[in-house]
Amino acid sequence: MTTLRLWQHFNREDLYECYQCARCTGSCPAMEVAPAIGPRETILRCLNVGHQQVAEDERLWLCCTCHVCEDRCPQQIPIGDLLVALRNSAARRGNIPGRLGMAIELLAKTGRSMIVHQLDEMRAHHGLEPLQPVAADEIREILRKTGLKEVIEF
Amino acid sequence: MKYALFLGCAIPIKYPGFEAATRLVCKRLGIDLVDLPFACCPPASSLKMVHHPSWLALAARNLCLAEDAGLDIITLCSGCVNTLKEANILLKQSETKRRKVNRILGQFGHHFKGAIEVTHILDVLYQDTFVERIIRNTQREIPLRVGCHYGCHYFRPPKYMYPEELSPTESYVPVKMDHLLSIIGVEPMEYSRKFLCCGYPLGANTDQEAGYALTRQKLSLLNERNIQALSVICPSCFEQFDMGQIVLDRKYKEKQRMPVFFLTQLIGLALGMSYKEMGLDVHRVKAKKLLTQVKVE
Repeated sequence: MTTLRLWQHFNREDLYECYQCARCTGSCPAMEVAPAIGPRETILRCLNVGHQQVAEDERLWLCCTCHVCEDRCPQQIPIGDLLVALRNSAARRGNIPGRLGMAIELLAKTGRSMIVHQLDEMRAHHGLEPLQPVAADEIREILRKTGLKEVIEF
Repeated sequence: MKYALFLGCAIPIKYPGFEAATRLVCKRLGIDLVDLPFACCPPASSLKMVHHPSWLALAARNLCLAEDAGLDIITLCSGCVNTLKEANILLKQSETKRRKVNRILGQFGHHFKGAIEVTHILDVLYQDTFVERIIRNTQREIPLRVGCHYGCHYFRPPKYMYPEELSPTESYVPVKMDHLLSIIGVEPMEYSRKFLCCGYPLGANTDQEAGYALTRQKLSLLNERNIQALSVICPSCFEQFDMGQIVLDRKYKEKQRMPVFFLTQLIGLALGMSYKEMGLDVHRVKAKKLLTQVKVE
């Protein structure tokens, strides 16, 4: 399966629609509490220094994925798509936050994104049957074929 | 009414109480839930960010299982509904994506056709039939001042979540939980920055402290309006608020406690089910005292 190509996922021309009003950044929760780049500056940097440099910046990952930026953009730029494509590109360069990398590895190995540990007892407490096992081998094989290995070892 | 129940990962593993509450409530209201061998959704805030093609393929596999059973999917989590709804729309719209995904899934006996819809338990309960059944079956009112927190992924981006319901220049403003709770005697409260993120994805992916800073802000805005409890429809938001209060207390010595409910727990209580049946006994912030005060035992 082919990788996600940045300018196929997000129309490059849309960068020029941005008039830097910063309504996105003004409503970005991550900007309030962390040294994030913010959507406005991300777009500006893509234009001025190129997306490669943006994709190498660790701060690209400081995001709540809440989509408020896109929701409030007066130019209706699909900022969410841009951020997904940029982060996919970052991941291919090895720029992935440690916690996130570990979560994906767990998902690829077990087919779930939570560790199952002494679960039957806990479910029985709530009157529930044990959880059905997941086809973990099949999930792992699918992820091999989709090319996840190009970003995460599992 | 029959649905394929998509539990996701967090609910059956971390918060089986929500699963128990939902199953009991659905049974009482006449919603048949069918269990299928689904895997992780996978989350829009994790796998999609790292490798979009893998995200789409795994989501498509889940959709295929429901298609084969001929059932629409019902989810209990804002993250799951976000992923499955978006993937369903992307694959229905694009023949190229469909072909690519099917080329891989075909090797495992799956084929995406685009035959089903994905919905969230809140949207199902909001249908007239079930609103009427809730009204008819309510055995006691829950007179609490409750703040609703929807979870960003439940309704954003609206172009995938609620495409028919708004023009491109409008924001989608969710109201269903507030309306639904008002029929069981809850007083749904407005509060400042109601649609602010709970902080979970930021904390889970990168910066836990920054994530909790958002949670803290949200809790203080809820307290400002004298809100007694919080209602959520997502296990991640729940964890952020329930566990978050314990974490924030350790750091800032904030003694104030606000119980957090999953939507179906509140509805179950109104339908006469017990505190224990609704799995409320395992929450970090206990609701027992508050419920006793309003004579809901």
